[in-house]
Amino acid sequence: MLDGVLNFDLLDKCSKCGACFDVCPSCLNIEGYDPRAVIKDILAGQSGRWASSIHVWQCLECHQCLEMCYQHYGFENAMTAMRLYATAKGMHPPQVKRGWDMFVKTGRLGEPAAAGRKKLGLPEPGESGKEEFLKLLKLYREAKKGSQAQ
Amino acid sequence: MKEFAVFWGCTIQARFPFLEKSVRTVMEGMGLPYRDLSGFTCCPEKSLVNNVDHGLWLLTGARNVALAEAEGLNIVSPCTGCVSNLSTVKSELNADPRKKGEVNALLNGVGRRFEGRAGLSHLVPFFHDEVGAQRIRSAMKKDFKGMRVAVHYGCHMMRPSHALKNDDPLEPKKFDNLVRTLGAESVDHSTKLMCCGQGLDRVDQHDTALHMARLKLRELKNRAVDAMVLCCPSCFLQFDNNQHLMEKEGERFGVPVFYFTDLMGLAMGYTADELGLGLHRVDAGPFLKKWEEVSSRPSSRTAFEEEMRAVTFAMDRL
Ligand code: SF4
Ligand code: SF4
Repeated sequence: MLDGVLNFDLLDKCSKCGACFDVCPSCLNIEGYDPRAVIKDILAGQSGRWASSIHVWQCLECHQCLEMCYQHYGFENAMTAMRLYATAKGMHPPQVKRGWDMFVKTGRLGEPAAAGRKKLGLPEPGESGKEEFLKLLKLYREAKKGSQAQ
Repeated sequence: MKEFAVFWGCTIQARFPFLEKSVRTVMEGMGLPYRDLSGFTCCPEKSLVNNVDHGLWLLTGARNVALAEAEGLNIVSPCTGCVSNLSTVKSELNADPRKKGEVNALLNGVGRRFEGRAGLSHLVPFFHDEVGAQRIRSAMKKDFKGMRVAVHYGCHMMRPSHALKNDDPLEPKKFDNLVRTLGAESVDHSTKLMCCGQGLDRVDQHDTALHMARLKLRELKNRAVDAMVLCCPSCFLQFDNNQHLMEKEGERFGVPVFYFTDLMGLAMGYTADELGLGLHRVDAGPFLKKWEEVSSRPSSRTAFEEEMRAVTFAMDRL
């Protein structure tokens, strides 16, 4: 299930290493956060149990593990794969759902603050690329459907 | 210097127009040839978009880069997240011609093409490498001698390094160099490279986000820094807004939070008002007050020279 997105050879080496645990801000400061356990379960084909876990959303994507890793791979790859999996199951946090909805509707995660900008004497913001983005999104969805049908 | 496009990103324009003001003021004051382009969308943000659909994340990022490429411009952004996302998209597509082809086949449908050639820089390394210390110094009217400032890089200024390639990812130097160019002391601290933790606020984990902010703010309070300086709207949200929230609940840190261009602008002689400092949640007043006191004091060098003169004079009369 996750072998499309993860390199299991690297993960296997990763499960015998653990070096980056000590540079991971979440490992060091958030109770119960431990990608080593997640990776062990992924390798054992048990990753499903993490889909609903709050911990997969506590990876800060800070890339400390990636930079420290002798494989330039990092815990983060496992955590990102788990988040994609959780999302596919509809188990992502409400805020991520809201952010996503706004993004696919407007191409942005927030519109420029008109009143505040005016007060500060800022120029009109550049026109949004919404129209073109929506057109592109449509093309993308069609292409995706096409390739899934194949 | 070659003209460049500024990529403001959603967060600065939607939530912190005063940061945009600060960046524009400094860029204009220095006569940097920047241009506002129309048509940019969200970079797109990683945690909210890439975690849902990697393909759309790549495609949207590629389109943004293509917009600048069509004008023959490089991109500079005052947001670390935007630069890191755009750079990661660019490096992933440049490393995989098949994927790049797929992306371009779709972009073609809206009349765009992603070449993967545009330079993508964050404002801080851009100031360090392209503007340079000399030009910065000649634009300064005052410096920050005697002020103790904590530099917060923000993860995505230089990570992931295979995409950004702009500084040492685990021991960066450029932001420190700039702060020293402005004359301030860059105060070392153990949480200097620690992630701000703001990402947790985007996944409904506000309390954990506050916990992460607290770790750094506590250390900075203990080290008695005069301020912290950063250059990322997410980090700003975490340390300015969230610090303010905690202070309202009775936890006092008192660490003013500046954008890089705030310090730069003050040194160039712009007022706190012109830089929108009054709109920060944490009061910048104590920093400004100390700065005024420190800069009106004769420097230790002048004091030393005066003393020497007095001593030599006395010796002459013996
Ligand atoms: S990217 Fe995630 S797993 Fe890696 S060090 Fe940062 S928080 Fe930890
Ligand atoms: S991500 Fe790299 S450094 Fe971290 S435990 Fe795995 S192999 Fe080791």
